[in-house]
Amino acid sequence: MTRTPLLTSDSAACCWIPLFALRCETARRPELAALPVALVGSDDTRRVWQVSPLARHAGVKPGMTVSQAIGLCPALKLCEPDPVHYDAQFSRLLAALGQVSPVIEPAELGRAYVGTDGLEGLYGAPEKIVEAIQLRIVDCGLRIGNTGVESAIRNPQSAIRVGWGQGKFVTWVAATRARPGEAVIVQPGDEGTFLAAQPLAVLPLDPDTYRRLRQLGVRTLGALAALPEEAVVSQFGRAGRRLWRLAAGRIAEPVVGRVAPEPIVAALTFFSPVGERELLVHAIDKLIDRALGDPRRSGWRVQVVRVRAELEHAASWLAEATLKEPSADRERIAAPLKTQLERSPPAGAVERLVVEFTAFAAGTTELQLFARDAQAAARAGRRRALRTAAQEIKLRLKRSLLYHVIEVQPWSRLPERRYALIDYEP
Amino acid sequence: MEVELDEKGLPVGMRDAGYKIRAVEDIGEIWRIDDEWWRVPIHRRYVEVIIESGRRVVLFEDVITGEWYVQKP
Repeated sequence: MTRTPLLTSDSAACCWIPLFALRCETARRPELAALPVALVGSDDTRRVWQVSPLARHAGVKPGMTVSQAIGLCPALKLCEPDPVHYDAQFSRLLAALGQVSPVIEPAELGRAYVGTDGLEGLYGAPEKIVEAIQLRIVDCGLRIGNTGVESAIRNPQSAIRVGWGQGKFVTWVAATRARPGEAVIVQPGDEGTFLAAQPLAVLPLDPDTYRRLRQLGVRTLGALAALPEEAVVSQFGRAGRRLWRLAAGRIAEPVVGRVAPEPIVAALTFFSPVGERELLVHAIDKLIDRALGDPRRSGWRVQVVRVRAELEHAASWLAEATLKEPSADRERIAAPLKTQLERSPPAGAVERLVVEFTAFAAGTTELQLFARDAQAAARAGRRRALRTAAQEIKLRLKRSLLYHVIEVQPWSRLPERRYALIDYEP
Repeated sequence: MEVELDEKGLPVGMRDAGYKIRAVEDIGEIWRIDDEWWRVPIHRRYVEVIIESGRRVVLFEDVITGEWYVQKP
């Protein structure tokens, strides 16, 4: 299988739009802006996921059950999540950032890193690079409530925050410290001083570690970095070393982007020229399926699709579609092509049909929510196959010899205590 | 597990499960775990090494007995 090459960059900008999904929702339904709003979780509809400042003011917090939230705030407006819409908006953001730098790493909905190595030649100082990023975001038509440059940059009501520095952690912390519409730039060499004053909560800590560090009197990254590294490792194991190094500014993880795949082409030559439209539609469907199955497409959604037809007597026909919402779904990709085929069909019988995916948008994990049903079916199929295989092994060898790994003491600092093997009996 | 040490007490070679001697190419992280003092105390010094095949192996020394083991998994 072809491995997609990676691009990396040590200097980075972190673009962060807090409450991205909620902002997408209030941007398309402006009447919500004046109300206390909460989005319900995609995977657990009994709990609230994102909460507007008004709702938070009334005591509603993410993770609460819906009944608790309504109990605290009877006027709360609950919204069903629309991850496809949020994903489409986030794709726009990524595409806009891709115009500034080829090195883009999406982190989560509303947060992405931009590699900025080498951009000084184009834009100048980090301040100018950051400004270019902010302007691109504003220009991309992202519907998150800011419609113009004036409303998106240097505006306390803006959604966009940017951090610039060396490595992803520093830039992420910088973005969280930035005021809405503004940027925080951490000059190279200043990472230690910048991080020292930051609260412990900026570290990727589990609640238990956070509590233990607080009990030890550690409140800031500076206080953590002042402890001997070995002492932190002794208390918290390997994770402790990483935390200490992040706090001390010793780790600068680069932004890792991916090179967008080359165009993916699937072609079909007919034995005899085809004029029937149904047959052409069927052939387009099959070719799209084949192109979607190309391993290079994995992790990417199709933005631009093109169909070329070579006709009798050396004539040709072309249809191209740019999808408003990039997709990896055959029906969505084929729909605009079929419309064009209907409106302006080829002028003659088709000898050869070619489908090309020529532009792509990065896939995000959020979109996988919709693959859940398919995944569940696949899992059930795998379980059945596994059960049959296990029974066969047991029949041949008289015992199972298959084991199930279970968590016993996942918190243990001794690796062999964390898991145990038990006989696998499907 | 037989482990050959340098003057600083760091592994420079080890004998693998197939009794083949493997040179240590690089030393990664080193950490110590002292635990379970309330029953049978455990004192271990862990050393992450890269052996000549390029494989990453985590070794640990039982500080009480001085014996070395490979951490699995």
